Amino acid sequence: MQAFGKSQGGTRREDIRFLTGQGRYLADIAPANALHAVFLRAPVAHARITTLDVDDARALPGIRAIITGADLIAMGITASVYAITLPDTRGGKGAAPHRPILAHDTLRHVGEPVALVVADTREAAMDALDAITLDYDDLPVSLSLTPGGPEIHPEAPGNLALDWRLGAADAVDAAFAKAAHITKLDVRQNRVTAAPIEPRAAMAEWDGTRLHMAFNGQGVWRLKSELAAALALDPENVHVTTPDVGGGFGMKVMVYPEHYALAAAARQIGQPILWVAERGESIASDNGARDLSSTAELAFDADHKIIGYRVRSRVNLGAYNSQFGQNIQTVLFSKVLTGVYDIPAAEMHVQAVYTNTTPVDAYRGAGRPEAVTLLERTLDMAARELGVSPFELRARNVIAPDKLPYKTPMGETIDVGEFARLLHRARDLGDAAGFPARRAASAEKGLLRGMGLAYYVEAILGDTSENAALEFTEDGRVRLFVGTQSNGQGHETVFARYLADLTGIEEELIEIVQGDSDLIARGGGTGGSRSVTVQSTATFQMTKTMVAAFADFLARHTGAGPFEFESGIFAAPGTNQRFTLLEAAEIARREGSPDLLRHDARITLDDRCYPNGAHLCEVEIDPETGALRLDRYLAVDDFGNLMHPMLAEGQVHGGIAQGFGQAVLEDLALDEDGQILSGSFMDYAMPRASDLPMIGFESVPVPSKNNPLGMKGCGEAGTVGALAALSNAALDALWDQGVRHVDMPLTPQRIWGWLQQAKAQA
Amino acid sequence: MYNFDFVKPSSIADAVAALAGEDAQPLSGGQTLIPSMKARLNAPGTLVSLTGIPELVGVCREGDMLVIGAATTHAQVARDAAADFPGLAALAGQIGDPAVRNRGTIGGSLANNDPSACYPAAALGTGATIVTDRREIGADDYFQGMFTTALEEGEIITAVRFPIPQASAYAKFVQPASRFALTAAFVARFESGVRVAITGASENGVFRWAEAEAALSSDFSADAIAGLACSPDEMIADLHGTAAYRAHLVGVMTRRAVAAAG
Ligand SMILES: Cc1cc2nc3c(=O)[nH]c(=O)nc-3n(C[C@H](O)[C@H](O)[C@H](O)COP(=O)(O)OP(=O)(O)OC[C@H]3O[C@@H](n4cnc5c(N)ncnc54)[C@H](O)[C@@H]3O)c2cc1C
Repeated sequence: MQAFGKSQGGTRREDIRFLTGQGRYLADIAPANALHAVFLRAPVAHARITTLDVDDARALPGIRAIITGADLIAMGITASVYAITLPDTRGGKGAAPHRPILAHDTLRHVGEPVALVVADTREAAMDALDAITLDYDDLPVSLSLTPGGPEIHPEAPGNLALDWRLGAADAVDAAFAKAAHITKLDVRQNRVTAAPIEPRAAMAEWDGTRLHMAFNGQGVWRLKSELAAALALDPENVHVTTPDVGGGFGMKVMVYPEHYALAAAARQIGQPILWVAERGESIASDNGARDLSSTAELAFDADHKIIGYRVRSRVNLGAYNSQFGQNIQTVLFSKVLTGVYDIPAAEMHVQAVYTNTTPVDAYRGAGRPEAVTLLERTLDMAARELGVSPFELRARNVIAPDKLPYKTPMGETIDVGEFARLLHRARDLGDAAGFPARRAASAEKGLLRGMGLAYYVEAILGDTSENAALEFTEDGRVRLFVGTQSNGQGHETVFARYLADLTGIEEELIEIVQGDSDLIARGGGTGGSRSVTVQSTATFQMTKTMVAAFADFLARHTGAGPFEFESGIFAAPGTNQRFTLLEAAEIARREGSPDLLRHDARITLDDRCYPNGAHLCEVEIDPETGALRLDRYLAVDDFGNLMHPMLAEGQVHGGIAQGFGQAVLEDLALDEDGQILSGSFMDYAMPRASDLPMIGFESVPVPSKNNPLGMKGCGEAGTVGALAALSNAALDALWDQGVRHVDMPLTPQRIWGWLQQAKAQA
Repeated sequence: MYNFDFVKPSSIADAVAALAGEDAQPLSGGQTLIPSMKARLNAPGTLVSLTGIPELVGVCREGDMLVIGAATTHAQVARDAAADFPGLAALAGQIGDPAVRNRGTIGGSLANNDPSACYPAAALGTGATIVTDRREIGADDYFQGMFTTALEEGEIITAVRFPIPQASAYAKFVQPASRFALTAAFVARFESGVRVAITGASENGVFRWAEAEAALSSDFSADAIAGLACSPDEMIADLHGTAAYRAHLVGVMTRRAVAAAG
């Protein structure tokens, strides 16, 4: 049996369900008697609560409960919302101030939950919100990424939550001391919000003994253990499920305050409770993304070889640690700090800062788009300063094939890759040679054309372990239990087809089971571009042990053998004994061998893998208005073997569209008081199909050696490469006008402003 | 959304009578009113639908005028005005998205007078007449600042009478998120002179750019206003554009509208 069989084609088995309105999202699964929950949220960014009076609201018709932070404490629920901390270079660990489930003395960001209202109808709950009295004394608001603003937590003097360093500073200093050229660049990466089509939602119910919470997340197990701990329940008595999910993008990975409050309320009331966030509520309360300012310095020798790289970042954590907040722009950023380049010495220093804003956490790429954007923009600037082409400077510095596997200064070992080959393929396929003619044609129309290149690398993340279990059901079908969690990517299609390919069981007879903590004991969920690689490896392992078990069984059963499994058939050479897996399972059931009706496996990948590739794009800027139009986009990707090429390409399209959103349109803007200026889609600009050209895609697989399938993961790659490619293209378009710096978002107003400045300085 | 009563009269007289009730408000396409009700920013006691009144719907040529019923959708204007008044049809075709255009109406848009809306530019830019259940109001008197019009309590727009220009065009620079007008210009050339109306830019809502009108009346070409700058005083400043940027766009969009009108 071969781990990587044939790559799949065809459409997705989920599509008919989703496209005909048969998807079962969170709001669809609530029972008819579900009560409706809404949250009272902080209207200001920083204040001390003086009065929180819910008595009048409680007396309104249809109100079943109003729960405040004080009520939770009275119930014995004092947990802090779950978050990890990192070791701090100043000693000890990064700050871990208490994050209450419901704010009860201090409000620290707009949108922070303060009280939970449960009512017979949503309208009644909304009426009760109007009747709650919340008075407060304003406190000074800190929004700055520079440590030293008005204090938010006594645990973090100067709001500095975490000081984090990695790499050999001495070696880097030495490299800079002997450098022939140094390029230094400041890059601001704008704050955005994930804005999935389905907002966050959850449903909680209590049967007297067990808590059931359904939520639209990216994995059920962390929420299960957190709810058990916070509500002092036996974990056996917490059941967490996830139905169809309309997009998560990393933002839905985390345990949020709302989950604890809904669980507590369900236990108190004993009736199911449904909460579905509104769009504005989501923008205010979903974990934010990116939001950092960095300075990068590259040291070159006289041959334009990079000899040292230094990064300083100040990153926004928001008002509290979110689940992985401290990890994103530090550990995850470091995974790809030096890209695909042979850089002998590198170091980074990060200051993570609290501000009076919603917490910031993972979003498609989580630290890797940020690192790649910084490096690729700095390299582009270096190419300009050194007077060489951006292709040439990169080609000169990529890790040569004979240096692989290559250990980066950050301790990552890149197993395989043909970076120069992909770079040159993008140059040729993207017709870089034709750019001057296209630029001239744009100029004829009064438009400024720029070309932007970025070479990205991703390190797939998340749990490197995963499990798969298979059960033969009495009606002659199988159920495959997976530890991943589709958020709409098409996992059902890929997993079922892969199992069918391995086992010969017809795809139609395979049901994929995910997102149920009672049925699946553990799993890694979706995130970090991991799902298809780790899940398929587990399925492959499970299939191997299952096939071996049935081969033994059939030999005992028939007296023939040994049985070999080929193209879905067990056969004993020299006999006419032939069985499909389903037939073998039927015999096992008849003969009373139930152990053969369920098979399990758990695997751990040897190591991570490193999807990488080149993005090449061209933009046209209208200098009169500052409007930027994306004219051409090409991604040449090494994702290793492609399980389902169409879905992989779809991930690239979506990733690039999301990257375009951040680079050109999206801006979670705040005023000086911490109020959100782009709090609805009237002001928060999402990418639309008409913003994007047809996206070119070519797969150049260099199979990974770190998993038996030779896969690398493709979920985040589009986003990781797009930010730098688009920024570089914009600067390229504006350079001849005297513009020397751009930052995302590349909005018309800002581009026009940079052009005006350049004109004034000329 | 708060609870409300709903009536759907079939004549203007019944609608006006229903609107005399307490907290009654007209509902046309609902593309502005319904979202504001969902956000609980608006709580009418009774909604009086205008879309079931046949006389309020339609595009009709009357001599050198194009008369459009107040409850005519943007999509219908885009289609039915194309032959007689292509500049107006093109404007209607750029409002929102297909769903918005198939419900939103000209009367609703003019009654609302959003400072970033498109129709006010065409109405002021042609000197249209706003016809109501009780009188006729010239566009120059009708628009009285952001979200403010000459309409009285309970008064409804029944039709809009547009003088058909010899040439006209609408040039719209979209706000990236909402795709309303960040700044847009409607330019119309008549035998008597040129009118230029600007939307999206001013804190006082739609306005006529008198200097440009004067220059274009003697020479209807983009070059005639090449050196003309609009003052940033009282321009809207927000996330999407500073006052200076909007003032600059007034010039750019006006020139583009003139070029497009030919
Ligand atoms: C996604 C989206 C995008 C949009 N983009 C644009 C755009 O690009 N450009 C643009 O101009 N607009 C845009 N709009 C607004 C749209 O054009 C609306 O249709 C218009 O503003 C209101 O028209 P309506 O018929 O929907 O009015 P309604 O929402 O029904 O009513 C609006 C207001 O006018 C009052 N009213 C309605 N009819 C009358 C009448 N006959 N007499 C007196 N008062 C009346 C109502 O009481 C209410 O106060 C957009 C809307 C949406 C939702």
